[in-house]
Amino acid sequence: MSVDRRDFLKIGAVMAAGTIAPAISGAAGQDEEGASSKNLWGMVIDINKCDPECTACYDACRKENNVPHFPEPELDIHWIRKIKFKQRGVPNAEERSMPAMCFHCEHPPCAHVCPVAATFKRADGIVLIDKHRCIGCRYCMVACPYKARSFVSKHVEHQPGENPESPIRMHGVVEKCDLCVHRIDQGKQPACVEACKKTGGGGMVFGDLNDPKSEVSGIVRSSRATQIRADLGLNPRVFYLGV
Amino acid sequence: MANVRFRRIEGNSAQYYMFMAVAGAVAAMAPLSALYMFVNGHHVTGMTNQVPWGMPIVMAIYLIGASAGSLVLSAMSSVFGKTEYQPFARIAALLAILLIVAALMAIIMDWGRPDRILVPFFHFQPRSMFSLNAILYNSYMLVGFLYLLAQFKESKFWKKALGIAAVFIAVGVHSGTGAIFGFVFVRELYNSPLLPPSFIAAALSSGTALMILILYATFRATGRLLDEKLLHGMGRLMGVFMLVVIYFLFIENVTRGYAPKNYEAASFLLLHGGKYTAMFWIGLVLCGLVIPSLIVFNPSTGKSTPWLLFASALQLAGVLFERYIIVIPAQVMPLELFSDKQVTSVFLDGRYANYSISPVEYAYSIGLFGVVIFGFGLAVKFWAMIPEEARFPEDVK
Ligand code: SF4
Ligand code: SF4
Repeated sequence: MSVDRRDFLKIGAVMAAGTIAPAISGAAGQDEEGASSKNLWGMVIDINKCDPECTACYDACRKENNVPHFPEPELDIHWIRKIKFKQRGVPNAEERSMPAMCFHCEHPPCAHVCPVAATFKRADGIVLIDKHRCIGCRYCMVACPYKARSFVSKHVEHQPGENPESPIRMHGVVEKCDLCVHRIDQGKQPACVEACKKTGGGGMVFGDLNDPKSEVSGIVRSSRATQIRADLGLNPRVFYLGV
Repeated sequence: MANVRFRRIEGNSAQYYMFMAVAGAVAAMAPLSALYMFVNGHHVTGMTNQVPWGMPIVMAIYLIGASAGSLVLSAMSSVFGKTEYQPFARIAALLAILLIVAALMAIIMDWGRPDRILVPFFHFQPRSMFSLNAILYNSYMLVGFLYLLAQFKESKFWKKALGIAAVFIAVGVHSGTGAIFGFVFVRELYNSPLLPPSFIAAALSSGTALMILILYATFRATGRLLDEKLLHGMGRLMGVFMLVVIYFLFIENVTRGYAPKNYEAASFLLLHGGKYTAMFWIGLVLCGLVIPSLIVFNPSTGKSTPWLLFASALQLAGVLFERYIIVIPAQVMPLELFSDKQVTSVFLDGRYANYSISPVEYAYSIGLFGVVIFGFGLAVKFWAMIPEEARFPEDVK
């Protein structure tokens, strides 16, 4: 019996350590970090300028961020996608389209549910994933109302012609639009916005919502701009005109 | 109350080694299929970007439930004064620990990056139900273990104190597990304040069903005496728990279905969801709850051991369906970006997704049962878990 008990105690000690460790390291998990809270990045998309067949933003994003294309539609990775829609219950309703991506919510449920705080919000409002910390549990995908997240379910290899400014995508973690944070930090616009201006309809406007003189804050102030599923109270920082 | 005497099994027979070899081989399927998933990527499973949680999560919450149920049953004798359950206290506590270990395996091996197992120890997100549950599960394992240890000491006080702690934490663990889903407010089929309590109810019913089957099999296989009246009593207990499950199920679905914004979700689950609707009505309601309730509450079948074993098996399968119905259909339903517009996209927006269990997930799930059975077989050989005989208290006097 005494031998039994000693074995038990050993296992017990190991388990106790496992219980206490997370509690000790529990100081982490803050909501906002990095960058400067002087800026608040956001976007307005005028869908009246969005042609259903145009894929300028979509193509530019894939190229800029080395987003691979998987042939199976249910496994493919989408940082941005084009959505087509029709009014329900209206015969011969016109088909319209808009791009959708991560909306960089003020209250991001994806970050709230992430057990290891791999998803977090920067002080300038950009919601990011630390892909070196993400454990791939996919709770964030279940919690995001906008389907903005994709799990990388295959290994991705380096490709000729890939963008050296972006890493290649990492298997086993969840990824999504980071608003081209690497470009923003260089003072540039996100790749989708630039491409939309160059070869698309020019309906995407990016800027600082904190700056009262910026074009985005002007449009948002005009209160013509709407948010998708505003009822959820997440306050997305991507606004739409004409939905 | 006569003292119950526990004795290890010899475990030298050829049958024992055969049994352990088979159980070990089945158990090995779990880590092997997890390795296969990790090396190839999750595209080898049925899980997709439309349905990111599949069978591993179903198994995890199933095993957690059965574990919490076993632990509460184990505490019946020391905490609730049900002395007739004393002979089973050790077996039930052991099972509770093995089941939670298997559940944690189910969760961790399903991560895209199980190699990052240490990350949760260093990063914590107090708003995340997963994060809170990690602490709950670990504390639960620890308390369950100490509680089992107390069973080996003749201290009434420790048995009771740790038993009470175990019951509280089992309830906490299960509420937390229900909350993982209940708190997801964007999916109508998840979001419900009733999920935590109804999880506990199903945990108790399935935990009892599992105990009935395991006790019967264990006493049979070891040739020890088990008074079947004890099993019949547990059967009635299972019946009461099943009625509570039915009640929660009824309230939850009626409340959900009443709101127009949920019409689609409610009718998907209850009316036109194809295999999910079939699982709900036939798998869960009919086979998992109604038939076993009729069996245990009918005076003649309720006192017949074969019938009781049948009812327990049905209930165990029914709760597995229940777990499946909780996890999967909520993800299969498309997320609505607009309530008034029909949406399509290359990312399958606006479409019902499809999920079917892949062979590797079958191997994974069956392997997890193997882990529990293998661990059980090993433990009863090295520690005195099984009583020499289990009689109804009045019969002993
Ligand atoms: S859109 Fe989704 S992924 Fe992006 S911040 Fe909001 S909840 Fe998170
Ligand atoms: S998959 Fe990664 S980012 Fe998403 S919740 Fe899990 S750890 Fe966080």
